[in-house]
Amino acid sequence: MSVQPTTWVEGPAHRPVARPKGLRLAWGRNAPAYLFLTPWLIGFFGLTLGPALASLYLSFTDYDLIQAPHWAGAANYVRIATADPKFVAAMKVTFLYVALSVPLKLIFALAIAMMFNRGIRGLPIYRAIFYLPSLLGASVAISVLWRQLFASDGLINLVLWQLFGIEGPSWISNPNYSIYTLVILSVWQFGSPMIIFLAGLRQVPTDIYEAANLDGAGPVRQFFRITLPLLTPVIFFNVVIQTIDAFKAFTPAFVISSGTGGPINSTLFYTLYLYQEAFSFLRMGYASALAWILVVMIATFTAISFLSARYWVHYDD
Amino acid sequence: MTDVTAAAPAIGGRRRRPLSHSVLIHAVLILASLAMLYPILWMISGSFRPQDEIFGSTSLIPSSVSLGAYVRGWSGLQVSFGQFFWNSLVISVLATIGNVFGCSLAAFAFARLNFTGRNFWFALMLGTLMLPYHVTLIPQYILFLDLGWVNTILPLIVPKYLATDAFFIFLMVQFFRGIPRELDEAAMMDGCSPWRIYRKIMLPLSLPVLATAAIFSFIWTWDDFFGPLIYLNDIGTYTVQLGLRSFVDSTGQSDWSALFAMSNLSLVPVFLFFLFFQRLLIEGIATTGLKR
Repeated sequence: MSVQPTTWVEGPAHRPVARPKGLRLAWGRNAPAYLFLTPWLIGFFGLTLGPALASLYLSFTDYDLIQAPHWAGAANYVRIATADPKFVAAMKVTFLYVALSVPLKLIFALAIAMMFNRGIRGLPIYRAIFYLPSLLGASVAISVLWRQLFASDGLINLVLWQLFGIEGPSWISNPNYSIYTLVILSVWQFGSPMIIFLAGLRQVPTDIYEAANLDGAGPVRQFFRITLPLLTPVIFFNVVIQTIDAFKAFTPAFVISSGTGGPINSTLFYTLYLYQEAFSFLRMGYASALAWILVVMIATFTAISFLSARYWVHYDD
Repeated sequence: MTDVTAAAPAIGGRRRRPLSHSVLIHAVLILASLAMLYPILWMISGSFRPQDEIFGSTSLIPSSVSLGAYVRGWSGLQVSFGQFFWNSLVISVLATIGNVFGCSLAAFAFARLNFTGRNFWFALMLGTLMLPYHVTLIPQYILFLDLGWVNTILPLIVPKYLATDAFFIFLMVQFFRGIPRELDEAAMMDGCSPWRIYRKIMLPLSLPVLATAAIFSFIWTWDDFFGPLIYLNDIGTYTVQLGLRSFVDSTGQSDWSALFAMSNLSLVPVFLFFLFFQRLLIEGIATTGLKR
């Protein structure tokens, strides 16, 4: 912005403002705003952008916190892609977890929300009960509880024995079952997508159903032809949010497997593997590469979701 | 909340449903509720049982009530749970204040002030919403290690004052935009500074969103396991969540009732928020799509 007060003649007549004054105005207008933004700007550069770039750099190095980072080229990524059985195990566990927990959770959430939406008595009580697990579920206490529920002498096996005379296995220490205990824990917390579905269902205008009734459409047909299509924006939102969240799951696997991801890597969530590489083995460069692969996976999933949305999500204008 | 739901149109609500139909729905819902709550109730009752009784009983009513598990659990590790609770409380309160303060400042600028580059910064802020914290984790750890902050609570609270939880900025921007602009324009005419507008107009009118942000901040910080796991290594600095996890590893299968007792205590603050602020929590989720 060059200062040229004498040549300023072409400016609009109603704004006879010389540049120096304009600068001062710009300062007067911008300074307070940037003062308000200062904490965020410091956080953005110092704790988000800076570290993100640093981690991109570190992902191309070997770094153990003690010696300076040593440039390794793409070696970390090559090893991850070709010679890391634990990475393969973590990917399998994580994708299985996402693929099972997200759809099941959303089906439960929608089913219960549909029951609620029929103007049922005692709704606030029911809603509170179904929401409670998703509020408490993130804490270590619930993971501790799960460890006990699915232990060999835990509550689940006790119930199986008393009701059916079945002697259940130790669910959490059997690699064939352990991941499913974590899926159940996730599905149990369907409360918040349920509330979002409930809010979405309220937006559906009732006269559509009345018209459908007059035309003789039954409840099943109404569900698939009216409710489900009109709910697709909410379904889309829930799928994206819950999937990203499931990719990042950590605490239950850590607590239930005592931080090992065992038995035999059967609960080795991706984030748990990342944590082990970084903080148990101090392979900071390798862990940074893992982190960037996670970002790429989440970004790819999000991009695919948004691209696919135009084919199945109905937005009413 | 009751009146809101009652007033809301229900699907097919105007149709007359047979009685058997609604009895069936209630039966399903009651059964489902019991199944949902049974594990939690069982954990509560387990903590009051005599030590030898926790296994072998699916009943929710203990044969005799004992507080022994709470006594054993409270001092079950070399540092008492009292210390862990205190640490968690300090971290959660300071982090909550930080979030409300830091995020509302940024949100005010984005929602109400005109400045060069506003859209650019706002877009960047939204971009950070999508970024998983794992990419910043390791360099942040190195930074805090170099600052000598590891094993202190600073890495867990200072970032909150720098508004790193962009989600809350977004939440507040949405709310601030709903407050009539005439109010601050009038104040501006009267020569009010932006700071006074923020302090005297925006904050008092935004109590619902500030409360929502504060409650979720507190609950998330209280429940946070990953942050303390990385930054707090000395048992004296442990939060409740870390204390519980050490307790699992040290008692193993031996003293489940004491473990349950401490687990229950760790859930009490979250449960109290649930009891008293359920409406804010549920509205927060319904309007913004929080994930839990």
